[in-house]
Amino acid sequence: MKRTAIVLAALMLFASAELCAQDAQINTGINKGQDRVRLAAADFKSLSNDAVLPPLLQTFNTTLFSDLDNAGIFDMVSKSFYPLEQPGSPNEMKLDAWNVPPPNTAMVAFGNLNVQGGELVVAGWLFDVKNSSSPLVMGKQYKGEATDASARSIAHKFADEIIQRLGGGIAGIAESQIVFISNRTGNKEVWMMDYDGANQRQITTLGSISLSPRISPDGSRIAFSSYAHGGPHITMYSLELNRFVSFPRFEGTNNSPAWSPDGTKLAFSSSMRGSSEIFISDISGNNPKRVTAFTGGNLSPAFNPKTGAQIAFVSGRTGLPQIYLMDADGTNTERLTDTGYAVSPSWSPNGQYLTFAWRRKYGPGVPGSQDIYVMDAASRKWVQLTFDSGVNDFPCWSPDGRHIVFESIRDGRAQIWTMLADGTQQKALTTAGQNFQPNWSFK
Amino acid sequence: MRVEMFEQHGPWKGPLAVSAGLHLGLILTGVLLGWAFTRAGNLWGVGNPMNEEHVVTVQMVANAIPLPARENDPNSVLATDSSGQSQPMAKPPEPEKEAIAIPGPTEKTKPEKIHRATIYQRPAPVPLASNKIVPYGSAPAASAPYTAFRAAAGNGGMTFGQNGSFADKYAWYVEGVQRKVSENWMKYEVDPGVQTAPRVYLTFEIARDGTPTNVQLSQSSGIPSLDVSAVRALKRIDTFGSLPGDYPGNKVSVEFWFEYKR
Repeated sequence: MKRTAIVLAALMLFASAELCAQDAQINTGINKGQDRVRLAAADFKSLSNDAVLPPLLQTFNTTLFSDLDNAGIFDMVSKSFYPLEQPGSPNEMKLDAWNVPPPNTAMVAFGNLNVQGGELVVAGWLFDVKNSSSPLVMGKQYKGEATDASARSIAHKFADEIIQRLGGGIAGIAESQIVFISNRTGNKEVWMMDYDGANQRQITTLGSISLSPRISPDGSRIAFSSYAHGGPHITMYSLELNRFVSFPRFEGTNNSPAWSPDGTKLAFSSSMRGSSEIFISDISGNNPKRVTAFTGGNLSPAFNPKTGAQIAFVSGRTGLPQIYLMDADGTNTERLTDTGYAVSPSWSPNGQYLTFAWRRKYGPGVPGSQDIYVMDAASRKWVQLTFDSGVNDFPCWSPDGRHIVFESIRDGRAQIWTMLADGTQQKALTTAGQNFQPNWSFK
Repeated sequence: MRVEMFEQHGPWKGPLAVSAGLHLGLILTGVLLGWAFTRAGNLWGVGNPMNEEHVVTVQMVANAIPLPARENDPNSVLATDSSGQSQPMAKPPEPEKEAIAIPGPTEKTKPEKIHRATIYQRPAPVPLASNKIVPYGSAPAASAPYTAFRAAAGNGGMTFGQNGSFADKYAWYVEGVQRKVSENWMKYEVDPGVQTAPRVYLTFEIARDGTPTNVQLSQSSGIPSLDVSAVRALKRIDTFGSLPGDYPGNKVSVEFWFEYKR
């Protein structure tokens, strides 16, 4: 503290001010490693003149290219560099056209679409064009209905395969889902969409306020808190049965449910015994056990997805909300953030990092936006991911550990945004109405 | 009404000199303090660990998040040092034509000791003349032997399998292994006093599901921190991705070398 005081005093003079600015600079000379794989996704060819094929082809090609681009691990070669002949099968593939400039690519994904007997048949290959002796990396065939949704789904599957092969064994997220809250119908309801913002569909029609949806690890249920019957109460919706399933309505305010990674326990915040504390019950709501015992409000629990043995949560026991860490039985509580206003913790899938929203300068008249941060849970070191972009909240990691989805209020309206886990490639997924509190599925 | 005191002008040169001197002294103090504090480095138990050390976090975060690190090399213009022409794979050394010589009485020919350096031969880096700098997009395919790679901290290479045929057939898998190991090799773990170091050789096996097992240090570099950093790089990796489907074996053995260069 004394050092900070002395440095602040010297800030008045421009020479020392310049040196302090040097202190604040982040060194971005990170360990470089190999270059990204240069990948070209050639437009797939249609094998027949069936009238239903062209729009399916268009959907397939756009979806495949954007899935590979979104993965964050490829250097996608722009389509304007591709050679004019389109390969539709390995016989038509000319390696020498691809491994030289202008494309100068290392890998090519190509294939063909066909409609046979009313079914869409897709054959896709991945070639290593720098290896002339054995270029084949992978060949797959898919069958589905001749519909747009099916073409999109097959493109997601093929992209996931490529990402898994070339991305070091981590499964792709092209088929994962995001649940979120949307008020575009007038009320805050639970909605769901694909990871790229497509296929947005309404799940609940309670006509009331719903908050903090969380999808279960096996993807079969969504737990959220709802004001439909007073409360708010934890409500459970089954995606397999397409209806609500029973969950006890405890007294007081009950919100922010969180699933344990084995899918057997639910942690939530409840004020059934006075102040808001974290309770853990089984997924039918039986035997809730209290695990925190501090006044000031404890909420937003999040289980460590790798071990299930730790819970990160938010507590206002010192005044403003801060992020805490405790074992799953409530022991060993440790504080992670030291200042400001920190909320909404979410773990990375490898259980090493926490992302949360933090307003480090909090108070009237103090300029400061709320940004997304990532902190190493073991060493407590953190890095800021968003800058100068309004209020950002409710971050959630993707199952591959490479992306973070969050809510951002830029231009006055809350929308769901996604970005790579190093803060780059931020883009909006929703535009209609206002959209809040996204949660990524486990796979 | 004229007030006399406003007409008085006291001596100003003296106080002005004193004031200028004090300002100069204050500026110098600030410069010295700023210089001293940036040189002081990490003092034990002093300072706010949250603010001082988050500079390191970018490295840590970037390296355990499974994204490839961003390209940020201001020095390299091409992916390799070659002038842009494809380099042929290193030819095996041609057998020397036997010179017909009169054998001496007791001449013994020593078997030629094959050093590791002869097998893993990298082409010597060619200094890039200005007329050889090729604008982006118009260079022919940069090629390098699949078993060599470059990381920020130095170079590395490997052989796969028994006779290298795995690398011929599944070059994409080999590249993936190189990428993952070089992403997880942290330069800052090596003793900062080291400038260059001999190679450290590691051997490990990749199981069918892609997990590295049986990591052994087969030849040390002589610098313990470099050896430890190489082994740690392997330990950070959960999986390389399952082995290619049509590969018949159950595992692949890999010999991997790291070369450190500050």
